[in-house]
Formats: sequence, structure tokens, C-alpha cells
Amino acid sequence: VAARRSSPRRRARRSSKADREFVSEAEEILESMRGDVLDLCDQRDAGREIDPDLVNRLFRSAHSLKALAGMFRFDPIEDLAHRLEDILDGLRLGRVGLVPEILGLIEESVHTFAALLEEVGDPDAMAAAGEAIVDLSARIGRATQAPAPPADEFGSLDLEPSLLRALTEYEEHRLRENIRRGRQIVLVDATFEIISFEEGLSELSRSLREAGEVLSTLPAPGEAPESQINFSLLAAIDTNVDDLAARLDFPSATVRSVLAGRGGAGAPAGARAAAAVPSRPAAVPSEPAAVPSEPAGVPSEPAGAGPEIAGEPEDVAAHDAEPPHGPGLSELESLKSLSDTVRVDIRKLDELMNLVGELVIQRGAIGELVGRLSASPETARLASEFGKVHKALDRKLRELQSAVLDVRMVPLRQVFEKISRVVRRMRRDLGKDVRLEIRGADTELDKLIVEALVDPLMHVVRNALDHAIEPPEERLAAGKDAVGRVVVEALQRGNHVVIAVSDDGRGIDSAAVRAKAESAGLVAPSESLSEKEILDLIFAPGISTRGEVTETSGRGVGMDVVRSNLTALGGVVDVDSTPGRGTMISMTLPITLAIIQSLIVGVARQRFAIPLNSVLETLLIEPAEIQRSEGRELLNLRGEPLLLRRLAQDFRLEGKAAEKPCVIVMGIGDQRIGLIVDRLEGQQDTVIKPIQGPIQSVRGIAGATDLGDQDPVLVLDVSALVEDAIRRREVA
Amino acid sequence: VSGSADAEAVPQRSWEQLARGAARGADAGGETHALRQLLTFVVGGAAYAVSVEAVREIVRIRPITPIPRVIDAVRGVIALRGEIIQVIDLRLRLGLPAAEPTRASRIVVVHVDDGRVAGILVDAVREVLRVAEEAIGPPSGGDAVVVEALCARGNEFVSLIDLERVLDIDAEH
Repeated sequence: VAARRSSPRRRARRSSKADREFVSEAEEILESMRGDVLDLCDQRDAGREIDPDLVNRLFRSAHSLKALAGMFRFDPIEDLAHRLEDILDGLRLGRVGLVPEILGLIEESVHTFAALLEEVGDPDAMAAAGEAIVDLSARIGRATQAPAPPADEFGSLDLEPSLLRALTEYEEHRLRENIRRGRQIVLVDATFEIISFEEGLSELSRSLREAGEVLSTLPAPGEAPESQINFSLLAAIDTNVDDLAARLDFPSATVRSVLAGRGGAGAPAGARAAAAVPSRPAAVPSEPAAVPSEPAGVPSEPAGAGPEIAGEPEDVAAHDAEPPHGPGLSELESLKSLSDTVRVDIRKLDELMNLVGELVIQRGAIGELVGRLSASPETARLASEFGKVHKALDRKLRELQSAVLDVRMVPLRQVFEKISRVVRRMRRDLGKDVRLEIRGADTELDKLIVEALVDPLMHVVRNALDHAIEPPEERLAAGKDAVGRVVVEALQRGNHVVIAVSDDGRGIDSAAVRAKAESAGLVAPSESLSEKEILDLIFAPGISTRGEVTETSGRGVGMDVVRSNLTALGGVVDVDSTPGRGTMISMTLPITLAIIQSLIVGVARQRFAIPLNSVLETLLIEPAEIQRSEGRELLNLRGEPLLLRRLAQDFRLEGKAAEKPCVIVMGIGDQRIGLIVDRLEGQQDTVIKPIQGPIQSVRGIAGATDLGDQDPVLVLDVSALVEDAIRRREVA
Repeated sequence: VSGSADAEAVPQRSWEQLARGAARGADAGGETHALRQLLTFVVGGAAYAVSVEAVREIVRIRPITPIPRVIDAVRGVIALRGEIIQVIDLRLRLGLPAAEPTRASRIVVVHVDDGRVAGILVDAVREVLRVAEEAIGPPSGGDAVVVEALCARGNEFVSLIDLERVLDIDAEH
């Protein structure tokens, strides 16, 4: 391995963008693994209990590294990561103990990864490395031979056998560990509203974790009232049941002791600590077979651990000493980072963006000064020179702006990767065979939008798998391929990115949606709605949060949340579905939220900004051109009816209306309306800011912007205005 | 009212210093009773006050952009160094008749514990008052809307405003 350490020459060869991306991400994972391995050594040296979170984190790191290497087709790295994952899995399940041999293998693997990363970009070296790690892999394989599973030891627990059966191997291991440590085991039953159960559950878990360890969270059997859901949490705690119940402060939660703690429930902390001491030697989960040399008694343990651990760094040093450059140089080299990437806190980019935004405002002010100077004959000459400087400044500022924006752009690949991981897991859990296709992973979006997009997107994909795709028999009976298909596709359209999730499942039962909407009082039975309008109802709050629609319509819980999340990002979500053929949910989002071009319009005495990416065109019309139908105002736009709304009326703005109104044709997704305003006041770069104060949100207003003159200008929420107009919603 | 110009001249940092000073004064020993520092201002001819700790800064009256679809007590928004902040008309919040701002009018920018920020429009800012905790008593009647306490200053009463309640506004009207 050491002989292939990179030289600067070789490093220069590694030039492909994909390689650089891989190295940068892999290094980050490796960096956290190094830290965790060090912590692991420390905990072991100190003879402390090994923190299960630490082992889990290492396991996840190895797993991510495996997935990453697999994606970029670096087979040796993937193979080794897979092996390492085996060790760590054995460790977290208690199958292998943290003995020097295992620890040594983990460290060796991490070192080997570091060496392998330097070979990325050199296929020959990589292939050679593949052969070299065979030996390491074989040693790992021998070390992780699983011992026979322990006999059932949970007989003493006051638990339903069905609950015990539901525990995973890891959970059983943690339960065993905690029983061994003499902790009190409790079962907490709690009921949550379906709409908000994730919040409540995480809150409850957090409080439990303060008192001990949550061993397992299971959906509880038994009837839950409508719109509610039961959970059982198995936990190991250090306090007694009454203290815990008092501390939890969850009206719906009941706490039941399953096994009394050995220290005596509610014993003072000191007594409990004393009681815990005798069990300490076993804290390092030592399999007697694997460590014949490990002494079992307390007093001898530190002495025994000393020399063994001391042997470890020597082992490591031997690896580092191998390179031909000599130890000094190699040490210097290994400290250097392999990639030229810097990872930056997004808030720093926000600050930068704000500064650029303020510069843009200042530029506007300078432009105005130039205008005023050139109006007077005395300063006209100066003004023209000033104007040139202003133009140059303007150009550079635009470059700066787009450079800063560019830094914030990230490809959707990472989000899509997360989704495919979840899909893989769901496929296993649901027992459904579903093929996930991903397209357009290179499409770039503002980092903040990507972050905010993860949850809603995951929700939509989950719904598709959970509800839309039928079981194989049903699919075959319908003449479809037994394997369902879900396609997640992203593509850029001008200043927007469209992300569509389509499936070939059962489609949405619009009759069921309508029936639900009627019973919820959202739609009158007499009201005639188009198919599209009915489908749109799945995003209405009263509908999608109810359980029953889930089964019948194939669309589930929380589509209203998806819509509100996207609206908050200035995006929209549309649905299209054909019964029996499938459903497509498409989400349209702006590429960036930071600086946007806005159209400034005037209504009565007030100004408003409309994000230009939602403006299709502007028209100056004669009042006589406005037509009426059913109390709505329409405009004939090249043969198509365009629904009109008056901003003055919507916002109750008093003032004399303009003789020739302006119509702003604006749209989002595939819907459009014409907004009637009094005046157009030009275009401006705007930084949309949230409005701080007691009023949380006002329908139709997305935020405000400071144009650097007079008073701030409110920014219209185009999607809300379009939606209200089309749904004929009258606000208050 | 003459104190308003002085109050205006106190920059933001000094407010923090004042607040910290007040906090130190409370536990400095020597005095056995705690002192509270209150910023007093005038609304509709009467004296009101808020804790100095809650005051972020005081700004002159400036153009306020009205927000549609909200109650009148929220006069609108102002831009303050890149931030957009709602302004609440304390007159209307106290149930007094509306009045146009004058040259003496000020916007007191306050922040409450949960991080919310708002501007409070007052007729004039007066002074910073140091009062002993004992001098602060319960409000007069049971009908107090946003006044949480009364503080005697000579023979005048200053009403202490509960900012949480001032900011507790039902969104749309």
C-alpha cells in the first residue's frame, strides 16, 4: 500500500470532475471516521462502556462510503467498505467484541482507505490496490465469524411475545446490554395525532433519552381512535417509573415497568453507580473465545489493557513508516488535503448574499445620482464620466452576483441518492418490488432550496411506494408488469426547476376524493368541478390528512404539508392522474431565492414587487376590453380567456383607479391569471426579506424588499394569488 | 417630552450597556433592593414604559408601508438596515383614537424573549427611569389589556407595558 502513496505528479493527473467530487466526499466521511476511531480507542483505553452511538456512526460512515464508492465504481474501495461494514455491524450487534484484533482491523481499514483515495484517477494503481486488499478482507472475514446466537434470555421480561419478536437484532443486543447493566426497563405507550405524530414522537424520544436509552420504537397494535396513532417505546432508564412519568409530561403517555433495575428503582445516584461497578469488566463486550488473554476481573483490567493498547499505535506507525520518502515527509503529506474543495457554512453564503444585495441597492442609488447630475448642464460632462464608471461597476456587480449565486448551486444528486436509499429500505420493509428510475440528477438548485425540498420530495416518493403501487398480484391482474415503477425526474425550465415524481400505480380515485371533500364541507354536492379541480383537492388540508382517503385514493397523509412547504419556497405542486394508469406529482421551484428580478407595480398609493420569473407578459388595456362571466372578469388573450383579478380590490386599497389599467399576466406551473394594477414602475433586483413582527403571515404576501429609497415594498406571493383567483376564494 | 432628543441620541450599543448595568446593579450587593430600568414614553398624554432590556433601538418616524388584510393596529412595515420590521401603533393597541405621527413620534424597536421583533409607534420618548422593584405594583383595574403593572413616580403613575401581550395580535381582521 505504502509504495503507491501519491506523488505530486500523480495527483495532478487526477483531473476528472467526478473523481474530484468523489474524493472530496469520501475524504469528508473518512475524516469523521478517523475521529470516531480515535474516540473508540479512548473509550476503550479508559475502560468505559463503548458508546453505541459511536459504533453506529462508524457503521453509517462505512455504509455511506460503500454507497459512494459503488456509485462512482471504485470497486476496491467499495469492497473494503463492505468488509468494514461487516465488522462494525458485528460490533454494534454484540456479535464481536471490541478486542485489539478488531480495533486493529478497523484502524487498518481506515488507513487503507486514505491510501486508496490517493490512487483515484489512476485505474492501474486502483486495480493493483484491489489485489492488495484481498488479504485484509480475508483477515476481516475470519475475525467476524459470527458465534452461535444466544439462547432466549428475555423470559423474565413482562412483555408481549409479539413485541419481543418485532425487535431487530440490534435492538435485542441493546436490550441485553442494558439488562446486564442492571438498568430499569420500561415500556412507554403513547398516542399521537396522525398529523403531527412525527413531532410528538421525537419530543417523547428526546425526553426519554434524557433519562436513559430508547431501545426500540414500535407502532403499537390495538385500535387507535380515528386520526390518531399509537406507539410503544421500549426504554432503559436510570430513574424510577414515577419520576419518569412525571418528567415526561405527556398526557397521552403511560409508563409501565417491564423489568426492575438492579440498583433498585429510584435508588440515589450514588448507590446506583456503586451497584453498577461490579458489572464493569464486561463493559468491553468481550467474547471469551475471541480474547483468551483478556482478564475478567476488575482490578486487573486496566493493567491488562495498558500494554495491549500501547501496542496499537506502534502498529499504525509501522504503516506510516513504510513510504519511501521517509517518515517525516510522509507525515507532512498525509496531513495535506487531497481535494481543493472548501466546505462552507450556508449561513456565511447568506451573509455574502446579503452584502451583495446591499451593494445592488447602493448601485441603484448611484444610478439615480448619475441621472440627476446629467440633467443639469453644468454637471453633464462629469455625469457622463460618472456614468461610465457606474456602468463598469454595474457589470462587475452582476458578475459578482452570479458568482455568489453559482457557489450556492448544488446538483440534486445527493437528494436523489437519499431517496433511493429510502426506497431500497422501503422495498424491503413493504415487500413490494419497485423499480426506481432517477433522471436529471445533475440539475442544479440553490442549496437552501435543495435542503428544504428533501422532506416534501421524500413524502411524495414514499406515498407513491406506499399507496400508489399495487401489490404484484393486483398489478398482474390489471395486465401490468408485476414490478412497479417510480420515476423521479428533474429538469430545468428557464428560471425554474421542475421535479416530477410519476408512478405506474393505481391512480387517484377522484370520486373518493370528491366524496371526502363533500363530507369535509369543502365542496358543495351541487358544485360542478373539473377532473383537475377535484384532483387538486388532495392538497386541501381537510382531505389529505385523513386516513381513509389513503387506502381508497392511493394518496396519503400530508399532501397539504407538501404544498405549503413548496409555497414557502415560492414553488407550486401540481397533480395529474389517470385511474389505473398512474399519477404524476410535479413540483416547480425557482432556481434561487437569493436575488431575483422583480417587476415593481403601483396600485393606488402603494407599490408592490412581483417576482419576474412568474410574470409572462404585461398588457396595457382599455377598460372596455374587460368582459364578465358569472361575476368574474375576463380578458380575451389571443383567443383564450384569461381570468382577471384586481389587486386594489383584493387588498382593499383605496384610491383613484388608472384610466388605462395594466394587466400583469402571471403564472406558476400551468395556471395563469391577469392581475390588474394601476401602473408599471420598472424592473429591479430585489432581495426578498421575511417580515418580522407579530403577524406571522399574510395571504398573498411573500415578504418585503428594501429598494433603497422611501418605504419598503411588499413582494406578492404569486402562487397564493393565482390559487385564490382560480379557486374563487374570497379572503375575509 | 424634552428628554426625547437625548433618548434618540443613545445608540444601540449603549442600550445594551444600560441593560447590563442594570443587571449588574441588581446583584452588586450594597443595595438590598433591586433596581429596574424603564424606558418611558408618552402615548395619548399618558406615561408608559417598557423594560430597557427589551429595547433594541429607538428610531425617528420614517415611511411605513401598510400591510393589506391586517388589523389597523399593525400600521405596516419599515426597513431598518436590511431588516423588514412590523410597526404596531400603541395608540390603537391601547384602544385610543388614531392620530397621525408628529415630529416627536418615535418607533421603539423591541424584542421579546421568543425572538420576535417589532417596532412600537409612540407619541414621544421621554427618559430612562431607575425604579426600585418595590415601587412597581399591580395595575389598577381588572380590565387592563396590555398594562402589566403601575409604577409610581412622584405623584404620577407610569404604566408598564406587557410586550408579549402587545405583540399578541390575531392575524387577519
